Amino acid sequence: MDDSTAKVPHRSWEIAQKTWEMANNIDTVDEIYKYNADQQSGIQAAKPWEKNPHFFKEIKISALALLKMIMHARSGGNLEVMGMLLGKVDANIMYVMDSFALPVEGTETRVNAQSQAYEYMAAYTESAKQVCRKENVIGWYHSHPGYGCWLSGIDVDTQMMNQQFQEPFVAIVIDPVRTISAGKVNLGAFRTYPKGYKPSNEGPSEYQTIPLNKIEDFGVHCKQYYSLEVSYFKSSLDNKLLDSLWNKYWLNTLSSSSLLTKNLNKQRNNYTEEVI
Amino acid sequence: MASSSSSGLTFKLHPLVLLNISDHYTRVKSQSQPPHSSNGAADSPTVPPRVFGCVIGVQSGRTVEIFNSFELLYDPVTHSLDRTFLEKKQELYKKVFPNFYVLGWYSSGSDAHESDMHIHKALMDINESPVYVLLNPSINHAQKDLPLTIYESELHVIDGIPQLIFVQASYQIETVEAERISVDHVAHLKPSDGGSAATQLAAHLTGIHSAIKMLNSRIRVLHHYLLAMQKGDIPCDNSLLRQVSSLLRRLPAIESEKFKDDFLMEYNDTLLVSYLAMFTNCSSTMNELVDKFSTAYDRHSRRGGRTAFI
Repeated sequence: MDDSTAKVPHRSWEIAQKTWEMANNIDTVDEIYKYNADQQSGIQAAKPWEKNPHFFKEIKISALALLKMIMHARSGGNLEVMGMLLGKVDANIMYVMDSFALPVEGTETRVNAQSQAYEYMAAYTESAKQVCRKENVIGWYHSHPGYGCWLSGIDVDTQMMNQQFQEPFVAIVIDPVRTISAGKVNLGAFRTYPKGYKPSNEGPSEYQTIPLNKIEDFGVHCKQYYSLEVSYFKSSLDNKLLDSLWNKYWLNTLSSSSLLTKNLNKQRNNYTEEVI
Repeated sequence: MASSSSSGLTFKLHPLVLLNISDHYTRVKSQSQPPHSSNGAADSPTVPPRVFGCVIGVQSGRTVEIFNSFELLYDPVTHSLDRTFLEKKQELYKKVFPNFYVLGWYSSGSDAHESDMHIHKALMDINESPVYVLLNPSINHAQKDLPLTIYESELHVIDGIPQLIFVQASYQIETVEAERISVDHVAHLKPSDGGSAATQLAAHLTGIHSAIKMLNSRIRVLHHYLLAMQKGDIPCDNSLLRQVSSLLRRLPAIESEKFKDDFLMEYNDTLLVSYLAMFTNCSSTMNELVDKFSTAYDRHSRRGGRTAFI
């Protein structure tokens, strides 16, 4: 553990955080940040995910990647944005270390990478390699502004194709609008089953509301993929910075009243219209 | 080194930059260590690596807002940043964030070095007055403030020769709503989507609780200070007293017509939402009852009572 355990946790959230970290195996150790090329290529050669379509069960996302994705998704407004994830795998856990945005904007459920996006991707990963970012592309993310985290038909196709040629690969969907309105991060990580695979009936994972004009798209494809268990990690330096950030930051938490966030009003009006 | 800048610019920093630099540093540090001495061996006094990068964002008027950053390479030949790499990266970021401009650069370390001015000057053809963000990565728990400083360069005449020197600039942390939520999320590591609604609420309330506690402790500090001053333990400081008084005078500002309106609206909304929740709950219970009823008193066909109700 890091040194912060040495000092007496005097604030209640600190205690809560510690217990929660212990209960959920959240490690703030920096071991994750090492990259072992041999081990990764070994996993790449063994392809353990080919034998079991349900191989990957967990995904761990770094604080940095989460923040980058959220910021990017939010900057897109009501347009869907898309980007790539950099990371690695260890046993049946996927690690997302970093993410980067792609110059692609879609409308509705029609995000699809074009050739210029591939060029961009290649240029970016190459430049990232030079600054100690050794991880490879491990997946993609895109935003569903306002209609929840699930995979549409096109998303399923894209993901299925990538899982054939680019394994290991994961799809992350993020909803910036619901993140703001619910006050918690709205994010899902998914992997598709191979074609023709019948998942054992496990029932719906978690109930979420989906707008009427999307429900058909959701229902047709919802049995073709499964969601991974998402957790987050941060380095000890991140931890310390976030701790001290709180000293400057508590004001924001207190003063951020929904009275002041204008778009909430707009959203409410939207919902009212939908209901009527 | 001069204490503070006089340019009058306001700097706003987004937490993303902070995490980006921290991540860059952690990554370089953990990867530069030989893998066999991984855990233990009591942090040997290896020289901590310095990381370099570029900060990007928007400047409008006198306000500089730093949104994002990316990593750069240090060129040991020219003792500066790798220029071609910078341009390549800049072009890549331009495609995704067309509104962001290069504002300056960042590095890690405890203090600004003499040699840093060299790097700083090299950036001046991209941005006339670049900023220098310095993060001190050494972990020191006694220190409560963010170990981050922003420097500007100013032209000073020292010994008759005009020279550029670094001056510290004050900054504030700026966030947008989505960013605040995710920072809260990772800072306190709330249970993610797996958690039930109750724990989510608890986590949210704990966050607010600790914020209020913080406010309380700040006010107490101020109160103690004023009491001590009244007793004469501390010399009277008029400028500070003026600040306190101006702070207190702001309080009645909350009592306005507009505030009352907005507050009432918010209050009604909350009531309405709980009303709606009650409704849903009620109809769900009703539905269950009907289900049970039609199971228990199923006479002719299975669809007996059900369709009538739905």
